[in-house]
Amino acid sequence: MTVGGGRRSGRRVLSGVIALALLAVIAFVVLRDIGGRTDPAPELTAVTGVIGSEKLPFFADQRVKDVFAANGLDVRVDSAGSRQIATTVVLDNYDFAFPSSSPAADRLLAARPTPRTYAPFSSPMAVATFAPIVDLLTRAGVVAPGTQTFDMRRYLELAAASTRWDQLPGNTTFPARKDLLVSTTDVCQSNSAAMYLGFASYVVNGEAVVADPAGVAAVTPAVQPLFRDQGYSPPSTEVLFEDYQSAGMGRVPMALVYEAQYLAEELSSDPTLPADARLLYPSPTVFSRHTLVPLEPVGDRVGELLTTNPELIALTAQYGFRPTDPRPFTEAITARGLPAPPTLVDVVEPPSYDILEGMLAGLGCAP
Amino acid sequence: MRRPAAASAAVALIAAVALLAGCAGSPEATDGPTEPEPGLLRVLAGSELADLAPILDEAAQATGVRVGFDFTGTLDGAETVASGRADTTHDATWFSSNRYLALQPGAPAKLGTATEIVSSPVVLGLRRSVADALGWIGRPVTWSEIAAAAGARQFSYGMTDPSASNTGFSTVVAVATALVGSGAALTVEQAASTAPALKDFFAAQTLAAGSSGFLQDAYVRRATRADPGPPVDGLINYESVLLGLNAEGTLPEPLELIYPADGVITAEYPFTVLASASQQARDDHRKLTEYLRTPAVQQALMDRTFRRPAVPGVALAPVLGTATLVELPFPAQAEVVDTLLTSYFDKIRRPSRTIYVLDTSGSMGQDDRIGDLRRSLAGIAGADPSLTGQYRRFRGREEVTLLPFSSTPGTPQTFVVDENDPGPTRARIADAGNALQADGGTAIYDSLRRAYDIAGEQIATDPDRFTSIVLMTDGENTEGSDVGAFRDYAGSRPADLRTVPVFTVLFGESDNEQMTEVATLTGGRTFDARTAPLAEVFKEIRGYV
Repeated sequence: MTVGGGRRSGRRVLSGVIALALLAVIAFVVLRDIGGRTDPAPELTAVTGVIGSEKLPFFADQRVKDVFAANGLDVRVDSAGSRQIATTVVLDNYDFAFPSSSPAADRLLAARPTPRTYAPFSSPMAVATFAPIVDLLTRAGVVAPGTQTFDMRRYLELAAASTRWDQLPGNTTFPARKDLLVSTTDVCQSNSAAMYLGFASYVVNGEAVVADPAGVAAVTPAVQPLFRDQGYSPPSTEVLFEDYQSAGMGRVPMALVYEAQYLAEELSSDPTLPADARLLYPSPTVFSRHTLVPLEPVGDRVGELLTTNPELIALTAQYGFRPTDPRPFTEAITARGLPAPPTLVDVVEPPSYDILEGMLAGLGCAP
Repeated sequence: MRRPAAASAAVALIAAVALLAGCAGSPEATDGPTEPEPGLLRVLAGSELADLAPILDEAAQATGVRVGFDFTGTLDGAETVASGRADTTHDATWFSSNRYLALQPGAPAKLGTATEIVSSPVVLGLRRSVADALGWIGRPVTWSEIAAAAGARQFSYGMTDPSASNTGFSTVVAVATALVGSGAALTVEQAASTAPALKDFFAAQTLAAGSSGFLQDAYVRRATRADPGPPVDGLINYESVLLGLNAEGTLPEPLELIYPADGVITAEYPFTVLASASQQARDDHRKLTEYLRTPAVQQALMDRTFRRPAVPGVALAPVLGTATLVELPFPAQAEVVDTLLTSYFDKIRRPSRTIYVLDTSGSMGQDDRIGDLRRSLAGIAGADPSLTGQYRRFRGREEVTLLPFSSTPGTPQTFVVDENDPGPTRARIADAGNALQADGGTAIYDSLRRAYDIAGEQIATDPDRFTSIVLMTDGENTEGSDVGAFRDYAGSRPADLRTVPVFTVLFGESDNEQMTEVATLTGGRTFDARTAPLAEVFKEIRGYV
């Protein structure tokens, strides 16, 4: 650290006059800034939450803030990986936690029991990709022609053989010397990758949810390369989805995301999806049930509003989530003139949180 | 969660007064204010972000949140965060990447929300005429082709030390992944590879640096003939830095950017609030990152600093290229990265020759200065257990000469560190350091001349090394030839010695002006051991030799 290393020796005592003048200016600036930082409606109750990153855009939407404000709440959120929320995040700083799946919430509940939780919406796991990649996957038998179905069984065969993109026959559009792997978030931190682990292990386990330690041990060698071979992966699904959108095919040819993230872009007034963006649905996939866990009584208010307030429910649908009542979701899709998402039939349950923890330990994640 | 405004203001005022008392003038320009202050984020950061100052000034106007940068290297920063030392002194980090940091035990738990602001891939910039002669303009070029041309010495380049700076570090990972990797993240076995292609690539490196800023300056000085050494053909750095150099117009010949077709490593600049930060700091961080991610600011970041926008929907400027950049997988296991770096330093990189010219005059007996010197040598001979220390030791294959001096140059002792078992040679260097005794006068320039003579003899025997001289003295020249004589010598050095820089250490009562002149004359730089521990300075210099 040589930069600025000599500055301390340059300290000088200011003349009293200058110091006083500076103090006055600073006092003015500080007081003005404090004033500026105070919220316009001071009667609102501040509620802080730690949430899965994919819900950040929803909570940042002014319309959502307005509904909360109309109900007396000023909701402020930080994002963190769902597993981090249950393990390393200092929960005393927050009034509620909003991880992205029921196993993640269960893990949290085991440490912080609470009488009520709220599951206002869910979203299936999906693969965001690009048209040229869909063509290559179709020729490789991973995507059924003309469908949005991403066949996990065929994909896992290719991955098990460490197939590289440049080894796919006739591939001139993306001849990357890089393994054909779905990009995920850091499985040790983030829920979306844990959900992917859930349905990948289901296939490896002979089409059955892994349910005991013997099953965990049996599937680990086959699922480990799916994560390890990717190398470093981003800590949150929002970052992954952004990388997919902004850096494009070379960085993230296939991204494991929530359907909601992709739909939210399609539904937005100013979509930023790349022109050749495509969405695929793994078969099987998992529905991730986003579950709010109140940590303080005021956190309950957020959970209640998200579950019962019709405006908020309509807004969750605008952000691509599927509320418990399917109608607002269908309305949002059709109102925008988008094709209805395919009916997902091959849907499996994620493993329970303790089994999931066992698998993560097998992958080298710290408890 | 909100404190009454009056109390906040009082706290803020106290903090402001404390800050004012600590460093008169501009609080942003300190080496890391340690007192928390509302509206000021204390950020541990990579030094290349200094160019964001104008945009951050505008951000402060718009959001009321200022940034106080404390610049440090990639590994140093990772160590500071992982050890918990940053918990009380900083609110956030802003490095080119969190990838290395995430591998340190305990580090992920230290980090809160990480928000990517911009990105920039690490690529090779080559003088246009050289790129043209190699036939590399307008077509995809792979790392294998680059390594083959490097091995044949068809071009030369400069790169930072991978233990000091992210660009050098990213290059080592990219080259190894592309040349010996299988298409997945490197394994430990692959990371230990000493394949000829790897050695070929690093053989063409003729300029080394412990910081990105020094590398850039040295490259420009060589290109404009302000430095004595011959011009270097290329530079490995961020796309943003290379495009910035071209835009400045100081280079006699613009750089052609080579984006290897088999992949790059991209820095994604996550602005990361620390888990230990206060609610106020987290709010400030959120406010500032939201501002920096608005489309207009993203556009400004791209237009003014050539970094790529992180937020989707801001179209890439044409100068940033249209090619699909394949991102190479970055190893996510600490063991792989450690193995790779150790192998790089001890077995793969171009070996170094380092001559330490060490003042052992009588004044070194004061204040245990000689003890400081002995311990500093022992530190880089392996006694320093820190993260950076393990990569800045005397390296496998390195030729180390200790030349103590007082009234005259002493007897030089030369060691060649064993490639496969470096420990015993390092121990002998530490022993030689321990035997140094303080006595006599100070013949700086006679000794420096002697060091150049030694370098000349050693180069004649074995030319293919990075040769550098480190000069440590605690006082003024009292015996033998003077700085004027050295000035004359420096201008008339034979060609093979013109590329040998002197890195000077300011210590005790050394003559700041003369030490700076010696460094400037030879293309080196000064290091200040009066404000930092001598051992830290000795370690830092390792990034340059």
